[in-house]
Amino acid sequence: MTTLEVRDLVKDFSLRSGLRHARFRAVDRVSFTLVPGRTVALVGESGSGKSTVARVIARLEKPTAGTVTAVDADGGRIGGRAYRHHVQMVFQDPFASLNPFHTVEHHLVRPLKLHGRAHGREDLRRRAEQLLERVNLTPAASVAGRRPHELSGGQRQRVAIARALAPGARVVIADEPVSMLDVSIRLGVLNLLARLQREDRLAVLYITHDLATARHFSDEILVMYRGRVVERGAADDVILTPRHPYTRLLAAAAPDPESGRGRAELLAGNGAPEPATATPPPADSGCAFRDRCPHAMEICSRPVPEHTAGAGERSHTALCWLYADEARGARPAPAGTGAATGAAPDTAGRARTGAATDTPTNTPTDTAGRGGTAER
Amino acid sequence: MTNLSPAVVETAEPGAASPDGAPGAAPGRKAAGGWRSLVPRWSPKLGVGLGLVAAIALFGLLGPLLTGDPDTVRNSGMAPPGDGFLLGTTQTGQDVFAQLAHATRGSLQIGVLVGVLATALSALFGIIGGYAGGAVDEGFSLFSNVMLVIPGLPLVIVIAGFVPAAQRGWWTIAVVLAITGWAASSRVLRAQTLSLRNRDYVAAARVAGERPWRVVSVEILPNLLPLLASQFVFAVILAILSEAGLSFLGLGASNSHTLGTMLYYAQNGFALQREAWWWFVPPGLVIAAFGCGLSLINFSIDEIINPRLRNIPRGRAGLPGSVSAGRGPVAPAPGAGGGERPGGDAGGPETADGPEGTAGPAGTSHPEGTAHPEGAGVRRDPVLTVRGLDVVYAVEPPVHAVRNVSLTLGRGEILGLAGESGCGKTTLAYAINRLHRPPAEVTAGSVVFHDRPGAGGGTGRDIDVLALESEELRAFRWSKLSMVFQGAMNALNPVLSVHDQLDDVLTTHRPAMTRAERAARCAEVLRLVGVDPRRLDSYPHELSGGMRQRVMIAMALLLDPQVMIMDEPTTALDVVVQRSILREILRFRDELGFAVVFITHDLPLLLELSDHIAVMRDGEVVEYATAERIKEHPRHPYTRKLLGSFPSLTGERGSFIRTGEPGEPGTPGRPGERDRDGLHPDEHHPDERAPR
Repeated sequence: MTTLEVRDLVKDFSLRSGLRHARFRAVDRVSFTLVPGRTVALVGESGSGKSTVARVIARLEKPTAGTVTAVDADGGRIGGRAYRHHVQMVFQDPFASLNPFHTVEHHLVRPLKLHGRAHGREDLRRRAEQLLERVNLTPAASVAGRRPHELSGGQRQRVAIARALAPGARVVIADEPVSMLDVSIRLGVLNLLARLQREDRLAVLYITHDLATARHFSDEILVMYRGRVVERGAADDVILTPRHPYTRLLAAAAPDPESGRGRAELLAGNGAPEPATATPPPADSGCAFRDRCPHAMEICSRPVPEHTAGAGERSHTALCWLYADEARGARPAPAGTGAATGAAPDTAGRARTGAATDTPTNTPTDTAGRGGTAER
Repeated sequence: MTNLSPAVVETAEPGAASPDGAPGAAPGRKAAGGWRSLVPRWSPKLGVGLGLVAAIALFGLLGPLLTGDPDTVRNSGMAPPGDGFLLGTTQTGQDVFAQLAHATRGSLQIGVLVGVLATALSALFGIIGGYAGGAVDEGFSLFSNVMLVIPGLPLVIVIAGFVPAAQRGWWTIAVVLAITGWAASSRVLRAQTLSLRNRDYVAAARVAGERPWRVVSVEILPNLLPLLASQFVFAVILAILSEAGLSFLGLGASNSHTLGTMLYYAQNGFALQREAWWWFVPPGLVIAAFGCGLSLINFSIDEIINPRLRNIPRGRAGLPGSVSAGRGPVAPAPGAGGGERPGGDAGGPETADGPEGTAGPAGTSHPEGTAHPEGAGVRRDPVLTVRGLDVVYAVEPPVHAVRNVSLTLGRGEILGLAGESGCGKTTLAYAINRLHRPPAEVTAGSVVFHDRPGAGGGTGRDIDVLALESEELRAFRWSKLSMVFQGAMNALNPVLSVHDQLDDVLTTHRPAMTRAERAARCAEVLRLVGVDPRRLDSYPHELSGGMRQRVMIAMALLLDPQVMIMDEPTTALDVVVQRSILREILRFRDELGFAVVFITHDLPLLLELSDHIAVMRDGEVVEYATAERIKEHPRHPYTRKLLGSFPSLTGERGSFIRTGEPGEPGTPGRPGERDRDGLHPDEHHPDERAPR
């Protein structure tokens, strides 16, 4: 059983335009833990840094700061090449992640060989076929001899999953594993991942932009926005009672026929303006969402405190100034009105006025005390 | 040679890319590894090229064995062909044929050696530099750039001049040519390696723990083979020509026979002045034929690298957007389910079409209401009627992308077209607008546009879109029916400002408008889509994705069209932006009253957005009803399945499983093939299906 700990992960990319160097912070102090048998979902829009997290964990990129540690059942650190036995990745695009030149068998035999899971031609072939059977690609012997272009997208993604399992991985990073697949086969692939997880007690990081599958396939959800985790908590809590304005916006925007919303709601909507230009607001320690946030206020440019409601399994954290009062016990939580209606304008509005009146005097001490994690 | 990036992956996917996935993937076919994809497709070009090269190579290999010593001096100088000497003799009585055989061998030797050396050098510097990146890449690039600017021929002349003629063997020349000839192809290889290095399968191999040299040799190199082969062939041609040039100048290898030295001696022997054509024409011809043969082979290799160069086998249609002559009152195409349509109906629009291209109000005479959705309450005036449309891709075997599709778009209505990739929804949209290109052909059916009466330049007449001539079609498109393309975010020209691009549409379609009117209209449409008109002077890269999409919609609105076809307009955007754009679309629809055909795979989105929904699968509309009806009472199993593919965001968690499959895996799927009912093999695992 392997646990993967990510602590204060930071990844900067340097952008070079002419002679000027600019730094772009793709991932900003992200921490989480993957434990066996549980799935953590990382949701966010494109460009929020979620794939960069995956690539750092898969050791395709080096982190700028922070640590990624795999720990085995005895508490020993797993490093070097052994890390690759334990941590494997499923890529987004099954059309690009299999080499068009090689057969399916090659893709499975290589990791088996590299990690010493099988020896000898016959053994390797048998193990590869077993893997194919585990991902429901049968008859395995016939699939093994095919090349990727002879398979459909869903079948390719199954091969990619089998490849990730081949070294005996205990931690699987699934980077948008179904977003490139046809809608009718997505659930099949996700259910397959869920079954494999249950059988092998895998620790899974499920990266997606689809809130609905994130809710159904994971235990915990982390919402990322511009490199930061703005909200985290148990899957149902985050989706059904989102706290951060960004999460609320996401939940309100996702199509959901079950909710019974009609055109009227679609037309009314709660209008968060989309960013007008491709350039984000200045990367300071303030809230990254403040240029689009319907509840934005002056204080939002200051380092944002983390606020946690509940404890243990049910802990639900949001990185937002709206909860600064609540953190002091001054006011009840303004959120909790549900995602379906889109927002909680009145309660949030109250919070805003509250924050606006209360905070100016109190914040400096606040920031120094509770905002410690954000400051670091 | 610069546009190489999408090459290799595309090569391998002709079968998967075809709409129904069936061709090229017969069950039980034994895959022979990746090598087969590297064999060029047979074509006359390749045949002629291979023939020429093989003949000359054979001549070079076997000729010297069959002929005598080329250096034997005889008395019969300058004898014309015939008379014991097949190609006559030289000034000193040497057999030209024997000389030619030896010279061909010599030139081939040099060519192949230079080809191997130059390709090896370029692969070393290009691939290793490209893969390693960083300082290694910078260093290698610098080196190959320096080699590139050293002028080859003068260098060769200098080197050849320094090496004493006695020691100047053929291999000296070969090495010099190789050293001066590798740099250009190294740059090409580096560029392609840089692109391959970022492919996911390379990342996957690294995650699996492959060592770098293995990643290069096993994952990257095979995909570079077509490129290497083409570079090799090119190097051989160049070497043979350069060597001939050098030898002709008297700087070539001494004591060796090459085609160049033959020409050199012919020149010295005044062959031209003495009209001894048999002395200088044959070597020249051999050089030309060999170069030509290798170039033809290179064309075929280029087709592997870049499949777009391939000629698409064309059917009868030659022009873009052409309509097959077979359309009209002919019997429905096979498999189109013609039984559903009464015979008279199929010919309806055509028979009603007068020479002036008008028709009576269509949609009045078909009894079964095939073109109308189920459950439609209030029927709006139709603005677009599609009936029995068939689109076939005339490839081998023909692909029936759209089968007997009948739809009616009411004025101001939003029609959702739902379906998965390859179901023909984009082909249908293109065919409605006559934007389809060969090999796609409309083989049956009609598309009738009912123009708005009176106001706004409308004539109130019906327009048979498929019968429009090119000039009428140009006027029709965009002003009556506009389109927002898939991936439209990237459809803006990056070097033109937003204003220039909007203005361009107006100058083309509304030549009468003044500059000021045009500017006012551009600002107006931008305001409509919620973009600040000050952004008119912005360039596309200065706008966010959502803004660019809005500009595209503004462009489609410019001419006040009556129908707008939107092909996956929001797929690439994140949900929040997507939602606000949908809101805008609904708002214009209400304000401007145009009708929208909205194409997407996202059925839940359509349920919220549209009035009617047509669900397409394998080119057929399997269900066509109001949005409420599709939501509440989906009738076709495929519609139900699609609906079931979207877990509800807020619904009961228990209603959806994550428990996976109990028991044994389901029916064995047949990879690479769809089964009879057209469902994807992936969903033959009933236990992995989501219950709803």
